[in-house]
Amino acid sequence: MPIKEVQTTCSYCGAGCQILFKVDPDQNKILEAVPAQGRTNEGTLCLKGHYGWDYINDPQILTKRLKKPMIRQGGKGAPLVEVSWDEAVNHVASRLSEIKAKHGPDAIMCTGSARGAGNEANYIMQKFARATIGTNNVDHCARI
Amino acid sequence: MNSFVQGDPLLCIGCRTCAIACVVAHEGKRVFEIDPDGYDFHPRLSMVKTWLVSVPVQCKHCENPACLAVCRSEAISQVEGKVLVDQAKCIGCKSCVEACPFGAVRMVALGFATNPDGSPRAVAHKCDLCHGLPGGPACQRVCPTEALRLVEREDLDAIVKNKRQATLVAAASPELRDRPNAF
Amino acid sequence: MSNGVHEIEDAKLLLVFGYNGADSHPIVARRIVRAKRKGAQIICVDPRRIETARIADLHLQLKNGSNLALVNSLAHVIIEEGLTDNAFIAERSHGFDELKELVKKYSPEAVADITQIHPDDIRKAARLYATSGQSMILYGMGVCQFAQAVNVVKGLANLAIMTGNFGRWGVGIGPVRGQNNVQGACDMGALPNSYPGYQNVTIPEVQAKFEKAWGVPLSNKVGVPLTHVPRYVLHEPEDKKIRAYYVFGEDPAQSDPDLNEVRESLEKLEFLVVQDIYMTRTSQYADVILPATGWNEHDGVFTCCDRGFQRIRKVINPPPDADVLTDWDIISRISTAMGYPMKYKNTEEIWNELIDLCPNFTGATYEKMEKYVNVQWPCRSKDLADKGTSFLHKDGHFANPDGKAKFSAVDWLPPTEKENQEFPLIFSTNREVGHYSARSMTGNCRLLRNLEDEPGWIQMNPALCQELGVKEGELVKVVSKRGHCVTRCLPTERVKKQAVYMTYQWWIGACNELTIAALDPISNTPEYKYCACRVEKIKNQVWAEKYVLEEYAKIRAAMGVNPKGGQTA
Repeated sequence: MPIKEVQTTCSYCGAGCQILFKVDPDQNKILEAVPAQGRTNEGTLCLKGHYGWDYINDPQILTKRLKKPMIRQGGKGAPLVEVSWDEAVNHVASRLSEIKAKHGPDAIMCTGSARGAGNEANYIMQKFARATIGTNNVDHCARI
Repeated sequence: MNSFVQGDPLLCIGCRTCAIACVVAHEGKRVFEIDPDGYDFHPRLSMVKTWLVSVPVQCKHCENPACLAVCRSEAISQVEGKVLVDQAKCIGCKSCVEACPFGAVRMVALGFATNPDGSPRAVAHKCDLCHGLPGGPACQRVCPTEALRLVEREDLDAIVKNKRQATLVAAASPELRDRPNAF
Repeated sequence: MSNGVHEIEDAKLLLVFGYNGADSHPIVARRIVRAKRKGAQIICVDPRRIETARIADLHLQLKNGSNLALVNSLAHVIIEEGLTDNAFIAERSHGFDELKELVKKYSPEAVADITQIHPDDIRKAARLYATSGQSMILYGMGVCQFAQAVNVVKGLANLAIMTGNFGRWGVGIGPVRGQNNVQGACDMGALPNSYPGYQNVTIPEVQAKFEKAWGVPLSNKVGVPLTHVPRYVLHEPEDKKIRAYYVFGEDPAQSDPDLNEVRESLEKLEFLVVQDIYMTRTSQYADVILPATGWNEHDGVFTCCDRGFQRIRKVINPPPDADVLTDWDIISRISTAMGYPMKYKNTEEIWNELIDLCPNFTGATYEKMEKYVNVQWPCRSKDLADKGTSFLHKDGHFANPDGKAKFSAVDWLPPTEKENQEFPLIFSTNREVGHYSARSMTGNCRLLRNLEDEPGWIQMNPALCQELGVKEGELVKVVSKRGHCVTRCLPTERVKKQAVYMTYQWWIGACNELTIAALDPISNTPEYKYCACRVEKIKNQVWAEKYVLEEYAKIRAAMGVNPKGGQTA
């Protein structure tokens, strides 16, 4: 398959540069980052925009990609055990419901994310905190 | 006349995107896939920061290079208007490092081009204007503030011309300057 | 930001206050150097000789922690010398008389010692700012990360209002937001006091609107800010304690202040969920880990620093062996399992729901972003003719109930923790241009890691280095009342002898071991830019180098990283 080109917004600083990624869809690999025209960057990028994309293939230089849901089944300090999504989702749901029932919705705190997750994910998280749990305890690192 | 890349300290912000571009251009795209300790990360330009100035320092591709003059192993030559170090021939005597008035040459230990006995090669290392690589000097292509430029003969000629005109304006007597359409 | 990034290069004067564009946003720094090229004058206020200070017409190298003293003094000069825009003040503002009274005692001579700036320079700066006709203020963490921060922002806004530098092209006041989507997370209401679109949770009409939209009763009690969480976990009475924490896309065990206290609170939580893309320091305390898709693996929208909505698009699939889901899908599933069903086909469906709840965002559809790439809110009409808004406060309209600007008159307060004999140096954090934040992503980028790696550097004035007998590259120990870390000495004349600086992304050179959780009472932002420390020489450098390597190996092992890592499959 020929090389695909996809334009997106950089995920590092707040400048919001436009980047064009060249992708090999067969190998599912990014080949190159090329500066694209954006209102703020006008066809330029900094070192993070040019060279900050190769982490996505999990090179394990510093940390490891999280690939499976995990639960510390033996309690605090026990090792993490890989589980299915259903098990993870149900476990989180039941623990949070338990704590909400016993101590009230304000005993639970949620964070938003100022990084790669995007606006829609943040909207859903604050809706979850407010509508599902019933608390306004939601905040993110803008504060820090 | 040899061309060279020059940085403008009024535009440079010290980000070193140029340094990484240099490594990527010379080591190739494989660096995005391999062990980060599996290639040599030695940019051929060096960022210098003082109270007044931030700018990368790199080889000026002198017309009569001091490094070439002192090299005993004929490792340095001028090819297609560029001053190049053949690292395979370099014996690591460091004479060129001492001779260069600009601090543009440095010694690096190459991990992946070793001596016959397997020890890392310490060789002279400097800007080669991306000789043999497509697209011309990589550093000046990526600089986000356009602080790096390839200075060619025409650019120097234009700079000299502007300076001469400014000299004439400064030298002109008041009567000449005050005349309408004087310059 | 009240004005757009693209307007910066058209300003006639830039007052860059506590903002280091070169390291935080190279592409915004590009606009600053272009402004200078186009003939703008630049005043740079920063305790370090940052890149902008180098090219500035005036560098006010103030003493750390004296921001409001300087700002009030600038106001004093502008008022005293009659440089105010009296028509604008009279018609479009109130509260000026209180400010005028308060700043009487802030003459440049009176603040010279506190700020370490010559009175003539303060006068010069004030005159330049007030008379340029088109002055723009850019500020950053050098203003915000202090216990007295919000009032400094208001003080800067005072200067803009009193000189009529609002509501036009190339003026205004801009916090240049650091993270790629911190503006977006705020826009989306991930805030304890605000729904999406900055609609306050305590206002009954707003509450009613969202209750109707979401079909469920909602709380009108303002929530707990992030920086109070350790206190709510460790010290609040039983009925007010926070017992569960759902962390997504953040790393408090790396980036929050006073890491000892943060770690203690994470250990004491009954239930900690971490949803992220890579193992982080926080994930080591998690009871549940939920793996999500990362940037380039999903669609969505970011908001950049100047209110611009832009699309992110899926570029590649996650690795074939990764059993991951997108963040909104994970949260929706948990919500459904808890009895509040959430189900969306894609991000566009979520986006359409939320923009209809926020009048300022209503016109910013996916269709518009396809067409115009960047749509700055407010964008109120879905009509394609409404392309968004470059600058705010046109014709002097402000977001207060009476539509007028409001002056704020507040006295300067010194920082919380003063230097003393045991800790004689000022410690401040800053940014590293080649890495990002907690390094979950850039720490795994080969070239960026080769450019800069553990344990980072501490910037020290050469005279200080000489006194301590340390030289460039040598490992040193940095200590504060709260903790310590090890990093490399970087002698530089760009900092004054009284203060030292470190970037915050390293794990061995973890400077947040030292920082103090003293919060601004309104923003609740910690005072990262000022605490007391000392630097110690490490005599046995061989031991120190070995220590750094061993610690690094330990951390990587704890992260589950393959010791031979660095190779893709």
